[in-house]
Amino acid sequence: MHTCPRCDSKKGEVMSKSPVEGAWEVYQCQTCFFTWRSCEPESITNPEKYNPAFKIDPKETETAIEVPAVPERKA
Amino acid sequence: MAYQDFREFLAALEKEGQLLTVNEEVKPEPDLGASARAASNLGDKSPALLFNNIYGYHNARIAMNVIGSWPNHAMMLGMPKDTPVKEQFFEFAKRYDQFPMPVKREETAPFHENEITEDINLFDILPLFRINQGDGGYYLDKACVISRDLEDPDNFGKQNVGIYRMQVKGKDRLGIQPVPQHDIAIHLRQAEERGINLPVTIALGCEPVITTAASTPLLYDQSEYEMAGAIQGEPYRIVKSKLSDLDVPWGAEVVLEGEIIAGEREYEGPFGEFTGHYSGGRSMPIIKIKRVYHRNNPIFEHLYLGMPWTECDYMIGINTCVPLYQQLKEAYPNEIVAVNAMYTHGLIAIVSTKTRYGGFAKAVGMRALTTPHGLGYCKMVIVVDEDVDPFNLPQVMWALSTKMHPKHDAVIIPDLSVLPLDPGSNPSGITHKMILDATTPVAPETRGHYSQPLDSPLTTKEWEQKLMDLMNK
Repeated sequence: MHTCPRCDSKKGEVMSKSPVEGAWEVYQCQTCFFTWRSCEPESITNPEKYNPAFKIDPKETETAIEVPAVPERKA
Repeated sequence: MAYQDFREFLAALEKEGQLLTVNEEVKPEPDLGASARAASNLGDKSPALLFNNIYGYHNARIAMNVIGSWPNHAMMLGMPKDTPVKEQFFEFAKRYDQFPMPVKREETAPFHENEITEDINLFDILPLFRINQGDGGYYLDKACVISRDLEDPDNFGKQNVGIYRMQVKGKDRLGIQPVPQHDIAIHLRQAEERGINLPVTIALGCEPVITTAASTPLLYDQSEYEMAGAIQGEPYRIVKSKLSDLDVPWGAEVVLEGEIIAGEREYEGPFGEFTGHYSGGRSMPIIKIKRVYHRNNPIFEHLYLGMPWTECDYMIGINTCVPLYQQLKEAYPNEIVAVNAMYTHGLIAIVSTKTRYGGFAKAVGMRALTTPHGLGYCKMVIVVDEDVDPFNLPQVMWALSTKMHPKHDAVIIPDLSVLPLDPGSNPSGITHKMILDATTPVAPETRGHYSQPLDSPLTTKEWEQKLMDLMNK
């Protein structure tokens, strides 16, 4: 498991490995779905250097507004 | 004149010097997004970009900025690449009037060459990448998404082909943004009210005419395929999906079949949008992908968008103007001259019109606000006289600076609907809107000193031609 640079949860899973062996891996956070590649700049991959304006609290993923809202079931 | 598929259009661009092939190795991030941003920064005649040497891949090919300039837009229409924008507008409007053009159905398509039904991993199948540094992940942002009206499933016109941003949220999962003003939101609502999933098919790497039709704000029951046929002047070719009754563009590079899961919402975003701002994170619906088809060695098309102008603005420029123009002409057939709604998908619209009597131009502005597209856009409508070219912004500025009187001509209507992505809307989706009447006052509205308009010296037109001839010698 990898630490998510955006929400800091430790739920980053490997989604893909480069067809050319060893070039990069792609990870995705299973909490906030942030996706990153191992060869991106540290401003993307390092939780401490990720842009503070875009950091999120994992709780935000549960309270974000729904677009569109789920309608009521009709009989 | 129709382009059969994406590759044929790329070949046409290359022939005209409007496709730049980049052979040097590029990193997926930040090079691909940066190069497309740079292409837009270099002006409105930029070429499409084709990358064939991407770090970490053996043979991936990625195309960007395919319709990201006026020459490329003209070639989409099959016109000479140096066709002026206003001429492209009137030609588009003429073809729009040919709607509907019946479709041509096919049994098989090139994308049937490869089929994946198990262990789908979109991250392995597509060379995905991030385009802007604040984006929450990798997106599909220029794909045609097809769905049907569940209450009237046999109605071909109500089948929708639209372009909606989709975040790759898992190996076989996408998040999708169905803005309430868009047609797919109607289909999704029907499905969720019944508690059933909504079948969707997604076509990537299409020739540019269906992409244009899919991003045109057509009326709900107007078929994008029949409009694509009208625009290209011959029947549009479609083929059935394998898992549903949905029709797919024949020339697609990659096709994903799946369904939107009823009642599910999941965190998505942010994504840098056409407004030049990020959307923020919201909970949005999920698509489960069940099958993938693709051509051999497919070309992955991606669209860069950010602060205008980018490819997105060329893609939704003229095709936003024309429906507004046609719908205004339905109300005022003898007066409306032209509409320029190319700015941020029509958040600002400029209407050129004749005026029958005092107050008429403001009524034209009100009508623009109440068109289907105006309900989600048209935050500001500028109305100008018939002799002002709405595509010539210096002329529009002249009209605003000399014809408009703030006391009489600035009208604000409070709390109207707008797309939630408008960063100024508050609450999201609600905004005041404004009409600026920059037409010359006419009776019974007699004010100002407008009785002595300045017209050009008598032989100016002849001199324009003479000077051009001399310059071209």
